[in-house]
Amino acid sequence: MSHNITTIRPRLVTKDKSLADVSNEICRPIENKPSTTWKIGFTLAVIFFGLLAFTLALTTLVGIGTWGLNKSVQWGWDITNFVWWIGIGHAGTLISAILLLFRQKWRMSINRSAEAMTIFAVLCAALFPLFHMGRVWVGAYWVFPLPNAFGSLWVNFNSPLLWDVFAVSTYFSVSLVFWYLGLIPDIATIRDRATTKGRKFWYNFFSMGWTGSTRTWNRYEVVSLILAGISTPLVLSVHTIVSFDFATSVVPGWHTTIFPPYFVAGAIFSGFGMVCTLLIIARKVLNYEDYITIGHLEAMAKVLMLTGTLVGLAYITEFFVAAYSGVEYEQYAFLNRATGPYWWAYWSMMTCNLVAPQFFWMKWARTTPWFIFFLSIVVNVGMWFERFVIIVTSLHREYLPSGWALYSPTWVEIGIYLGTFGMFFTFFFLFAKFLPVINMAEIKTILKDSE
Amino acid sequence: MSNKTQYWKGEDELLNTPSFQADLKKEFSEDLPLDEVLQENNFELSSNRRDFLKFFGFSITAVALAACNKAPIRKAIPYLVKPEDVTPGVANYYNSTLGASSEGYGVQIKVREGRPIKVDGNPNSFSGRGLSALGQASILSLYDTARLENPMKGGKATDWATIDGEIEKALAASKKVAIVSGTIHSPSALSVIQKFAEKYSTDHITYDAISYSGILKANLDGFGKAVIPSYDFSKSKIIVSFAADFLGTWISPVEYTGSYTRGRVPGNMSRHYQFESNLSLTGTNADIRFPMKQSSEALYIATLYNRIAEKKGTAKIPVTRVLNLAGNVLDNVAKDLLDNEGKSIIISGSNDPYVQQMVNGLNVLLGNYGNTIDLNNYSNQYKGLDADFDKFISDATNGAYDAVIFWDANPIYNYHKADSVKNALAKIKTKISLSGFIDETAENVDYICPDNHYLESWGDAEPKKGKLQILQPTISPVFNTRQAEVSLLTWIGLGEKPAKDPFAGKEIMAQKFDTSIYYTYLKNFWITNVAGVTNEAAFNKVLHDGVYNLPMIENTPISFTAEFSTYGPIISKMVPEVNSAIDLILYQKVGIRDGKFCGNPWVQELPDPVSKVTWDNYVALPKALAEKKGITEGDLVKVSLNGITIDQFPVLIQPGQANNTISIALGYGRKGKSAEKGAYETIGKNAYPFAPFVNGTRQWVASGVQIEKVAGNYVLAQTQTHNTIEGRDLLREATQTEFNKNPYAGNDMPRPHLYELWSRHEYKRDDNPGHYWAMAIDLNACTGCGACVVACSIENNVPVVGRDEVRRRREMHWIRIDRYFAFKNVEHVDYSNDLLLKRDYQKDFVTKEKGIEALDRAEAKKKDGEYLYYENVQVMHQPIMCQHCDNAPCETVCPVLATTHSSEGLNQMTYNRCIGTKYCANNCPFKVRRFNWFRYNDNDKFDFFFNNDLGKMVINPDVTVRTRGVMEKCSMCVQRIQDGKLKAKRERREMIDGEIETACQRSCPANAIVFGDLNDTSSEVSKLYKNERSYHLLEELNLQQGVKYLTKIRNI
Repeated sequence: MSHNITTIRPRLVTKDKSLADVSNEICRPIENKPSTTWKIGFTLAVIFFGLLAFTLALTTLVGIGTWGLNKSVQWGWDITNFVWWIGIGHAGTLISAILLLFRQKWRMSINRSAEAMTIFAVLCAALFPLFHMGRVWVGAYWVFPLPNAFGSLWVNFNSPLLWDVFAVSTYFSVSLVFWYLGLIPDIATIRDRATTKGRKFWYNFFSMGWTGSTRTWNRYEVVSLILAGISTPLVLSVHTIVSFDFATSVVPGWHTTIFPPYFVAGAIFSGFGMVCTLLIIARKVLNYEDYITIGHLEAMAKVLMLTGTLVGLAYITEFFVAAYSGVEYEQYAFLNRATGPYWWAYWSMMTCNLVAPQFFWMKWARTTPWFIFFLSIVVNVGMWFERFVIIVTSLHREYLPSGWALYSPTWVEIGIYLGTFGMFFTFFFLFAKFLPVINMAEIKTILKDSE
Repeated sequence: MSNKTQYWKGEDELLNTPSFQADLKKEFSEDLPLDEVLQENNFELSSNRRDFLKFFGFSITAVALAACNKAPIRKAIPYLVKPEDVTPGVANYYNSTLGASSEGYGVQIKVREGRPIKVDGNPNSFSGRGLSALGQASILSLYDTARLENPMKGGKATDWATIDGEIEKALAASKKVAIVSGTIHSPSALSVIQKFAEKYSTDHITYDAISYSGILKANLDGFGKAVIPSYDFSKSKIIVSFAADFLGTWISPVEYTGSYTRGRVPGNMSRHYQFESNLSLTGTNADIRFPMKQSSEALYIATLYNRIAEKKGTAKIPVTRVLNLAGNVLDNVAKDLLDNEGKSIIISGSNDPYVQQMVNGLNVLLGNYGNTIDLNNYSNQYKGLDADFDKFISDATNGAYDAVIFWDANPIYNYHKADSVKNALAKIKTKISLSGFIDETAENVDYICPDNHYLESWGDAEPKKGKLQILQPTISPVFNTRQAEVSLLTWIGLGEKPAKDPFAGKEIMAQKFDTSIYYTYLKNFWITNVAGVTNEAAFNKVLHDGVYNLPMIENTPISFTAEFSTYGPIISKMVPEVNSAIDLILYQKVGIRDGKFCGNPWVQELPDPVSKVTWDNYVALPKALAEKKGITEGDLVKVSLNGITIDQFPVLIQPGQANNTISIALGYGRKGKSAEKGAYETIGKNAYPFAPFVNGTRQWVASGVQIEKVAGNYVLAQTQTHNTIEGRDLLREATQTEFNKNPYAGNDMPRPHLYELWSRHEYKRDDNPGHYWAMAIDLNACTGCGACVVACSIENNVPVVGRDEVRRRREMHWIRIDRYFAFKNVEHVDYSNDLLLKRDYQKDFVTKEKGIEALDRAEAKKKDGEYLYYENVQVMHQPIMCQHCDNAPCETVCPVLATTHSSEGLNQMTYNRCIGTKYCANNCPFKVRRFNWFRYNDNDKFDFFFNNDLGKMVINPDVTVRTRGVMEKCSMCVQRIQDGKLKAKRERREMIDGEIETACQRSCPANAIVFGDLNDTSSEVSKLYKNERSYHLLEELNLQQGVKYLTKIRNI
């Protein structure tokens, strides 16, 4: 890869790192004993992971009755969290696939962890549709069109929930393969540097016989491109299909054609929010400030601003369409969002998602890590509220006023949500300990680049 | 068998060709390539590699699949000797009488494999085909674990021989015995009491918890007979009710609901005025309802009397007080009444003899006796006189009685002075209770001789003069209990078992045949005493029919005497001078009634038809009073009246409650099962102690009650918390005048143009029309009583979830009755200029949240604190169950096809297949789908009846008990449909319209629900589907439901 190097633009990797510096610095956490920070963080994460196991066991053994759902609001925090986690996953795919296709080199230092985040987020997300089922022990496989001994049974291909099953599982498997493929050269690097027997064996095993020959590199590049091509439509399709869960229903507030693009924009928005949250911590803790530079953060802040505004536009469009439709149930559903019993959720959403990212018009806001970090949390909160608003406020006041009911979660639902953080961070800490957080192989190609 | 029709499979068979003969010998029409496979030389397979893979793949898959199928082990134990009448899987029906209350409705009892599982009305009975919620639920008290299993002496179980010996000795030593019973109208039981009184000197005191002494006394004074007349609402054009909840709780509500709705056919319907304080079920159905302070009722009636008397030119009642009512209310009523002389009914719910006498006077003036009111064929349903029991208490306290027998009477609970009853009991040597449960009175007696449940008893009834009914057992006694009549007979030495057992060989009946003593007695009694029943065959015919009507007594001219001239001071005394004094109204709830079945989970979970509250009673407050006292919903209050105080009462702000009145339901404060405490817990609070004793009767209205907010709060478990319809087009209504001009009135909105994505279902069987099940619900007939809710729960094994789960809005009812209030904009508050509310502006009746807020603001500005719009409400009831949409939103979203459309128009749930994603429930516009949040059966957290072996006996074996984690909903009683289809098939005939009745339809006293086949063009439901009043809910969604509603018509 030869490029014209201009000196006008800032370097992608600062401080003139040498190839060896890259390997040394990025392999440092893997080759050394875990730091105290890591240990504390990991323990905390595992405790919350335990909470997840406990609350899910309670749900499965006692019943969904341990949640706060009722006859009118039959989806609450569960599906809210599902959509939220799925949305978070989107940034990973966007960064690794779409930006790869567009040859955006700044992505190289963040794509590995973004992809890992995708995979862990999708795992967290998948828990919710699984365990929100009344009978998860059969539902877990009855949603697949399996041959069976029960008679002529088939799944309902009209149901968006079934589309979800396929969309999410495809997304997960493609993301996993893509991520793993990218890891192979780096795993081989660790293998080659390994000093202990165990490390040598395992990294050897997982490097799948990587030799680093030109032919392997060539194949690696080709497969990466193909996978990027496959992943790109997935970025759009997964959240489109998730949005169909709502858009194809008859519930006022759900039955909206704007949902697919609105959801995709929201997903990228929340995904970048989460990437910022994680990377700002990681670059500090792991001393990767030279690889994940202010330039990266600024680029991501710009994406946040753009997608946040897009999402805000969608919110306003929804109101316009409801008013223009002349359907009283539709109109009421939207007025009720803004002025009904859950008004606080609606206005939290508006503030966090539409108003807050507008700060990124200012250069200072885009280049100050702590501020980006703060806003990325705000964005994540806002996007959670968006899903809550869509799901709960639409359901709690539907067509027949007799069925109107309020919903609040129980400690079990809150426990599951916190538990998924435990699971996410447990995986993330393990990832940071055992695998290179930054793609060494790729970063080495851009040490002298500026873009 | 010989003339069985031959069918041939094809021309070959008919012609019997040689090739056909040859083929016949072979199992497969084409040769299998077996030879090819088997003739392999030297193991060289003639099948190629691909075939091998095919065979291999197939066999592996086949073996794997076969291994998956775990065959369930099912055990069935056959009868060694099959009882004559019992065929497993086939229900038997017996006609009997409802023994749960003295209203004595005729019932039909469904028995499966020896277990009674359902009680419905007997269509031939005076009360018609429907049955009240309480009547339906009474079956559960048969299977109640709280029942006494043995006779009790001093709190310990004993046996009958011991207890009989002691009681007989005690009775023989008694100078005077008292039998205190609820109303008994059974001729045979009365003869038993008479026989008992012949042996021991006995007083029989009839004590009704809620008595109609006022009517009885007034009729005794006015007409010379202490009876309750029969009312025929169907013949009445004008109905004026002063706080009589005749559709819900007054005397004979099932009977009245039937006759009321028969007189409410749109186009020619009666006009119903209701004056009352608390919004009763009857009040919600009234065409015109006036909130009235019930302590002034006497003044209202006297004023109305005087208006009529003035026109008639007869003497007026000298009333000094003047009643000022807005809008010439009583003038309008008087005019209507005078226009319809002899075609009206005026009734009062008061228990005051003077008030009732004025009501009698009004009915006499208007010539209603002999037309709509019948004194000859009177009602026996309530015969208790309050003064009798009052006298018993004072006599007993003075030591007049040595023994007392309580039979279906629980005065320590429901007498207003429980202490005086206890004091009186202390003076009585021998105290016996015949209660089947340890009730409050039974706790204070020496001997409890538990009576059978009415479903285990023989007997008869005469709820109305000349309308005789039979009571027969449908199960042998579950426990070691004995029918009350048999106990009495035993104590007078007539309890010997008959020499010849009439049930020899009939195992079901004969296992414990002490009831058969009474069978013999009853049969002999009927053959000797009832005209027209002269032999056993005639008696058996009665037993079969359940009812036996003696000829009606012809109208005789009435003579009425009343000294109205002396009423002036009486009325002045009754009606309080101070109008700001707060009235306390004690009322019965439609479900719980007098509290006898307070512990029955089905009636407890039945939402009150007006407030939609379950599992509690509460203080119903008008908004105005609540604002004045600074009380809000969820607060607790202290209520005190004449030195009696009840603390910690929860509050409900009840639209329609008259200003300066509060209402509390009777019948609570007893022990019942509850989920929270696991075992027995007191449900609600007992309000009987508040009842004042005035003019020789117990009354249910008192003035001058104090109410005070106390610390703490309490959430009532309501099934509906949003009370207004938000101006939505869900309930269509019109006035009778509009309807007479245009039968489409209220229902003539432009129909939306509907598009469909899929082709419509064709309900065909091969090429012939199949069935297309559908339902029509007449909103004009539905009174909202809730009988269908209980009937559906029993039929479909719907679990009871308890107060806490109802609070979480998780009740499981498959059918619910939505109740909406419309607030009358009495003061014509104009908020149409309010920018935000412009489009919400509703002129006459306000139903939108924002509109009501605007009225609240106007009220706050006015500062007189009257809240008239809160007092003047219009109410609608709408039963909602699964609408069985042809284009069902639930069906498309289920990922596993657990909810699908049947070939007969039903939306079906396959519980086995359901994985519980709850998506269907979210996408249901009617919110009728119910999710099993917990495992309600076999779960001691839900200790109602589903978790014990006895309670499980009530389960309908035709309906699956749902497991945790699956969705459920109304199936239109598919088990009944299948049963009806099978029956028609067995009898080789087409189905008859009306043959299949859903449980809700069967229970409806108002006949508001019609079910049938839409493909049968002559069926009643097809006709109703074409009716001008019929409409689908949410028509614009193009759901094409299988349920249509018929517009409500108001005669305003």
